[in-house]
Amino acid sequence: MEPKSPVPTNTVLLPTTVVGSYSVPEWLERLKTEYYQRRISAQHLAEIHEVAIKAAVKDQELAGIDIVSDGELRRDNDVDYFLARIPGVNIPQRAKTDYFDYYETEVTRPLPEGPETSLGLAGDFRFTRQLTGKPIKFSFTGPFSLSRRIRDDAYTEPGELVRALARRLNAEARELAEAGAELLQIDEPFLAGYPEQVELAIEAVNIVTEDVPVSWALHVCYGNRYARPSWEGHYDFLFPAVKAARVDQVVLEFARKGLDDLRLIRQHGWDKWLGLGVIDVKNPEVEAAELVASRIRRALEYVPAGRLMINPDCGLRHLAPEVARQKLRAMVAGVALVRAELPGAELPGAELGGGETA
Amino acid sequence: MDVDLRPVKKLRDSAAARSALGPIMEAVCAAPADLARLRVVCDWIQYKQNFREPVVSRPVAHADNTDTDIEIAFDLRRCADIDLNAHVKEALSEEHPGLPLEPWVPGRDSCIWRFNQLYWQALSHWEMATGREYEQSLPGGESDARNTEAARELILELFRIWDELDARRALPEELYVLELGVGNGNQARTWLDEFVQLDRRHGREYYHRLRYLMGDYSPHVLERARRTVAHHAERVSALVVEATRPSVTLGFLAGKAFLVYISNVYDNLPTDELACIHGRTYQVETQSFLTEDDATQIAHRFGASRDELAKLIDRLLRIGPELLSEATPGQFPDPGQAVAFWCAIWEALRLRERYVPLEGLDSYPVTPDLTGEILRPLIEGQGDVRMHVSNGALGSFTGTLPLVHPFGRIQCHDLFLTSRRQYRTGFYGPGKYDGSVVNWVNGPLLQLVASRRGFGVEYTPFRQRPGSNITTLTAQARD
Repeated sequence: MEPKSPVPTNTVLLPTTVVGSYSVPEWLERLKTEYYQRRISAQHLAEIHEVAIKAAVKDQELAGIDIVSDGELRRDNDVDYFLARIPGVNIPQRAKTDYFDYYETEVTRPLPEGPETSLGLAGDFRFTRQLTGKPIKFSFTGPFSLSRRIRDDAYTEPGELVRALARRLNAEARELAEAGAELLQIDEPFLAGYPEQVELAIEAVNIVTEDVPVSWALHVCYGNRYARPSWEGHYDFLFPAVKAARVDQVVLEFARKGLDDLRLIRQHGWDKWLGLGVIDVKNPEVEAAELVASRIRRALEYVPAGRLMINPDCGLRHLAPEVARQKLRAMVAGVALVRAELPGAELPGAELGGGETA
Repeated sequence: MDVDLRPVKKLRDSAAARSALGPIMEAVCAAPADLARLRVVCDWIQYKQNFREPVVSRPVAHADNTDTDIEIAFDLRRCADIDLNAHVKEALSEEHPGLPLEPWVPGRDSCIWRFNQLYWQALSHWEMATGREYEQSLPGGESDARNTEAARELILELFRIWDELDARRALPEELYVLELGVGNGNQARTWLDEFVQLDRRHGREYYHRLRYLMGDYSPHVLERARRTVAHHAERVSALVVEATRPSVTLGFLAGKAFLVYISNVYDNLPTDELACIHGRTYQVETQSFLTEDDATQIAHRFGASRDELAKLIDRLLRIGPELLSEATPGQFPDPGQAVAFWCAIWEALRLRERYVPLEGLDSYPVTPDLTGEILRPLIEGQGDVRMHVSNGALGSFTGTLPLVHPFGRIQCHDLFLTSRRQYRTGFYGPGKYDGSVVNWVNGPLLQLVASRRGFGVEYTPFRQRPGSNITTLTAQARD
């Protein structure tokens, strides 16, 4: 089956995007921590987040990114924002010493299911939608990774918790699609640490994506907590299992790890889109546009230009704001170099979406 | 008037400490000072060689520079047999006699650190002059490097991790272990000898993949350590490493070190001190000096005029005793004489201090990569407190964290405070250890910084020498 295009047709080749998170400035980190220590109100923090998201979207537009995100700036980290909203997940201590710390969480009985329990992600999407005319990627952490941060005293078989979380996220994805989301991304930052459980993770991904009519991306990296990899290894573990995933794109990191794993794309006949990580988000040194271009050219030996999307390795949250901006500009400039070499790269109606802020 | 009694334990243990309190208060009350603007601090300076007179005063400047309070500090250990009235009067005098060796500077820029640097660079000369190796000046008379049981535990844990990574094809070809501050090489020898034995039994031939890196500031120390592990020469590399900026030399090791072993390094690196007094944050500025009597006596002993002394000291610190002897054979006919001069100055060296208001924590650079914001949770909202910033240790520690493999660890033995509260109950430096400076390290601050970088830090008593002040820090990636 032909994968859904993650971008509108009649567009440029090699569309650029982000993985999800955007630079969190030190002042915002401090304010988030103030909230978790109950020194500022939830209402004030929500307003601060809205301002920060507007700035993040604007930064991406100015850098020339084709498909933007809200920068995940409302989220304290990649897990707790979701777990704190899922009914049935108990969090005994909700104050934090630092906002980025993980909660200790538990489930003591099976998660309640039903449409009345929304996590509110569709509202987050709608806010971003009215900020920009550009296509939007909206990402959320996948059920396997969420499950790794929960002490499970409810299910006899560990996979059941993962599946229950997946059903919860499927309901959320349906709401997102109804709100107008066209490109959703599932992040599985913990999967590389549990390669033997890849089949379970893929099964859960398919529960999340079931009957949700959007273009789906699956992001698997080696972790980016505190700008450090949580795991080491190769993407061998992902294949061939990931071929069974009902997604249209895998988004993988290559800039930090090198491009050797591109061989897996050919070896396993991956015929959907590839989100190619060309920016190392763990290193503040800004890549030269030519380095970005060279990485793309190498990938083109394995993936046709019509199925290649260009992004950083992972979220930009740990980079300083100016470094994040420079890296995005370098990425766009590197893509421009390669586009100029490709016949037919500039297609009619090449602009993605409606330009800057609506 | 505030009275801050810090040596809590000594107030119970020492009759001398208790009996000094009454006379101290009487002497303070008799002093010609505005008592409303006076803070009284009582310490117990446990280092017999230190930088303090029994009674000292420290101006506390106001932010607008219009006014100044005074802190007067007493060393309870030395207050029993002195004329307190005379000492208080002298301390509160606005005259500052003696020979200053530098302008007022933050603690980390004090020339005491140049002396410290000289000690490690010219260690062999110092040892020759004093007739004992530096290890003998450590508490207990030897380093803590010869414990095979501790080495075995670490190595077996490494084997467990390496086996697991190997099973998922995630084990790198080269297995790096880094030791910072190598001493005489005994730790490395003990560790490597044990490694060979255990590896033979384990049967995975990890020894042939092992890269043991020894890093030290002192080429002299490094050379001695290299000789100690000569029988492991193929597996060992020795690198001169600037302790406060390890990434300059060791950047290639990012994310690769499975074990970083550090022993008695951090307490010997430059530090500032900050204080919170009445809700305001201050930096402690220091000035090294010699008392009038010491300056006169040393100048006379080495045939210099008092005016020449400061320049001669600066020259010693720049070129070391050997070259000083060559350059001024009239005064120092051999290097031993120059070392004797060095020892005399070091013994006499004193520090005076003052509190200068900080504009804001964010404008205070802890290290080139870290602002004073990181100190806020430790120093604000906790009442009056004075603490080390441990700038050198933090620079070293934060430069080392990125070197650690996701499944690696840092193990560090040193003088760590493990709770912020300790700053209210004792004195933690600076003091003198032989020819070097010693300062306890602000453990809660290292813990906080590590936490912001995704590492958990645990402090445990140093198991190899029960009762010692040494604490073991273990840092590992968390989450």
